[in-house]
Amino acid sequence: MADCDCGDKSHAHFADYFSANLYTWCTNCGNYGIHAAMKRALVEENVKPCQTLLCFDIGCNGNGADKIGGYRYHGLHGRTIAFACGASVANSRVKVIAFGGDGGTLGEGINHLVMGIRGNFNVMFILHNNLNYGLTTGQASATTKPGVKMNASPDGITFEPIHPMRFVLSLMPTFAARTFSGDIHHMVKTFQAGLNHKGFSFIEVLQSCPTYNRMTPHEWYQQRVKDVDDLKNYDASDLENALKISEDLEKEIRIGVLYQNKKSMPFMERQKNRIKVKSDLVDEVKAFDVGKLFDKFR
Amino acid sequence: MNNLNRLTIKISGESGQGINSIGEVVAKALKRSGFYSFGYREYPSLIKGGHAFHQIDFSDHALNSPSRESDVLLAISRVSLHEYLPTLRENGQVLHLVDSPEFSEKEEEIIKAKKIKIEFLPAFKMASEAGGNAIMSNVVMVGALWKHLGLDLEVISELIKEEFADKPDMLDANVACLKKGFDFAFQKLKNLSVNFSKDIKRRDDALLTGNHLLALGAVAAGVRAYFAYPMTPSSSILSYMADISHETGVLVKQLDDEISVAQAAIGAMFAGTRALVATSGGGFDLMTESVSLAAMTETPFVSVLAQRPGPSTGMPTWTAAGDLNLALYSGHGEFARCVLSLGDSDSAYTVIQKAFNLAEKYQIPVIVMTEKQIAESLFQVDKLPNDIEIERSLVEGSDLKNLAPSDRFKITKSGISPRWLPGQADAMFVANSDEHLEDGTLTEEALASLEMANKRMEKLKTLEEEIPEPVLIGPEKASCTLVSWGSTRNTICDVMELWNEKHPKKAFNLLNFEYLFPLRTEKLYTLISKKQKMILVENNYFGQLGNLITQVTGYKFEKRFLKYDGRPFFVEDLLEFLQGKEKIYG
Repeated sequence: MADCDCGDKSHAHFADYFSANLYTWCTNCGNYGIHAAMKRALVEENVKPCQTLLCFDIGCNGNGADKIGGYRYHGLHGRTIAFACGASVANSRVKVIAFGGDGGTLGEGINHLVMGIRGNFNVMFILHNNLNYGLTTGQASATTKPGVKMNASPDGITFEPIHPMRFVLSLMPTFAARTFSGDIHHMVKTFQAGLNHKGFSFIEVLQSCPTYNRMTPHEWYQQRVKDVDDLKNYDASDLENALKISEDLEKEIRIGVLYQNKKSMPFMERQKNRIKVKSDLVDEVKAFDVGKLFDKFR
Repeated sequence: MNNLNRLTIKISGESGQGINSIGEVVAKALKRSGFYSFGYREYPSLIKGGHAFHQIDFSDHALNSPSRESDVLLAISRVSLHEYLPTLRENGQVLHLVDSPEFSEKEEEIIKAKKIKIEFLPAFKMASEAGGNAIMSNVVMVGALWKHLGLDLEVISELIKEEFADKPDMLDANVACLKKGFDFAFQKLKNLSVNFSKDIKRRDDALLTGNHLLALGAVAAGVRAYFAYPMTPSSSILSYMADISHETGVLVKQLDDEISVAQAAIGAMFAGTRALVATSGGGFDLMTESVSLAAMTETPFVSVLAQRPGPSTGMPTWTAAGDLNLALYSGHGEFARCVLSLGDSDSAYTVIQKAFNLAEKYQIPVIVMTEKQIAESLFQVDKLPNDIEIERSLVEGSDLKNLAPSDRFKITKSGISPRWLPGQADAMFVANSDEHLEDGTLTEEALASLEMANKRMEKLKTLEEEIPEPVLIGPEKASCTLVSWGSTRNTICDVMELWNEKHPKKAFNLLNFEYLFPLRTEKLYTLISKKQKMILVENNYFGQLGNLITQVTGYKFEKRFLKYDGRPFFVEDLLEFLQGKEKIYG
């Protein structure tokens, strides 16, 4: 990352992302690992806290908004991607990262995920997929498996679940990755790949929820996840490949950068009226003489 | 001539027949001939067919309101001929191209009673004789209209040449069609020989809609991003902002719904640019959760709420001012906000500029009310009003180095805390939709949450002291004061000139509200204490501003003149009301 506006030239440090506020998540919650990995990835990429805008959804992950360094926005349930997209177009010098759960992202705010991908906004998005609504005490989400008994669904879930990766890949994304909250090393390298991508990077984190998701706990994932990097010659530029390899969510669950379009053109580079403009929208708020435009109506 | 000191031409046809293009050419030609005009449109929510009109009221003095009735009807479709025949004034005159129209018994009665004269032009045949095609029958009709008005052919001919400058293959035929219409020998109509006063000079004013003015005002105020989802009557802001985006460099994007629109704008404003959104009632409903978010996170947010009649889909292409309550009470929880409204062409340009300064200084949602009547009517404007200086109210320069995270939502007497942008300082904070402490850290403590809620509400008091009182327009002393907001002021001001001159003892003035909330009350209290008779005039059912005034001051309006049929207040409506003849409304 380039130097920040506040002029600090030192390298980013892990401690810079420290917050004195105490975490309020359950013991063994996947969120701890995700926070730790995110801080590590940012430091590895030399992104200082004052250069980041971390955008949080409402949900368990969002309750971490005041427990990490950086500029942060803790918005509305399901709306975090739309907010992040708006922030990303205004200032390219700030790294915009958004976090959302499976509830807010694939239920209430699914259209914003679609918009973020289709527009290829310069946002890294982390999907905390723990297969339930944790903060409202364990109701079903769009990824909860059919038949499972949840809070408010005593007879079991009767909806077909959304397969997040199949859905995302159908939208022609430029970056789609999957990782696991139990593997900090893998998360760090995946987040780093996302941070280096130009455009919308979608990263699904398979996240354990020790309190409400008893069907697929930490150990369940641990036995099943396999890194695509361990495959010989995995071609992440092939969308069909990505669709095939990401399909299995039961036996052999593939993690890693499943798909990336290296020719990705991010949102602002697609705007014809901004191609020759060097400044950011945040630098341009000043009086504009509209006299000539007005005269056209004479 | 009628007794309104204006002439009214109604150009009518089906949607898709190009009546707005004709209307604009005629309005421009009138302006160049030295007149002032006001263009009013009625059209259905469909793309082809139905009936619609573009009405031009013109005079030798500035006009900003429409008439209900017209002096001349130019009908280019059979349906529109029958539809608008009854809306003619006494001695009304009709030019149409409908071969052998059949008038009903009732229509014949109207024609007789109002002494209406009707002229048929074989415009299709004339267009073909002049070397044009069927669509150019419109131009034939305009030529005939121009002759009927007794105005100079050269002026409108010059305009047609300008309009078709980039289509040279069609130019000659259009000019020939215009002349063909102009040379038509009227059988039934007599030339109107328009002449209001003798010292009329060619005018170089601009003709543009309230939405054009609003968009220009926004660009002048440093708006760099515009997000919207199409919804009448706000849609033309989106299309115009897009049309000028290469000149302005503004990022103009249609997003997937109004929720995305509001969120993206809040994101862009939080990052630190100026972003604008506009919608109508239904779209604003979707935005309201975000309005509440902006208030809680103290992020500036400016939304235009362009009104049309509701509830629900209502009448999409018609006018109303029924969403003041929506602006005042939308969004969950209690929070400070500011509601402003456009009225005339000046305010259409300046209010949006004020809105951004207030939104950034107070870090609150600001809602700017307009109406289809302002958004889509064609105003004649000599020059733009002076720009309002941009005030960003941000922490700047070396002060950025001395900030602490807890400064961001610091509890201050004014309620306003220092605001800086992501990336600008080492002092980082969380803007939290949960109740929070001064650095944004979540809290649910009773005292801390109370203090923070009070701080945010304090901004309302500070704001109330800063914003101006409503403006009293017209004579200082008057037999009664009309109280209003929005486009209604334009009709009231136009009628005021006519009425007060003829009825000096019954002269009225107008208390006009541009700043609707918080409500300034000093002028109101003065009028109340003087026992001044006040009449509420609003384009809605409840009398929403009146109810707000009652809620704040305890004053109850004895008389209310309310209209909510999708139409604006016409000049005739108000005159009849003043004459005690109003039957339909109030």
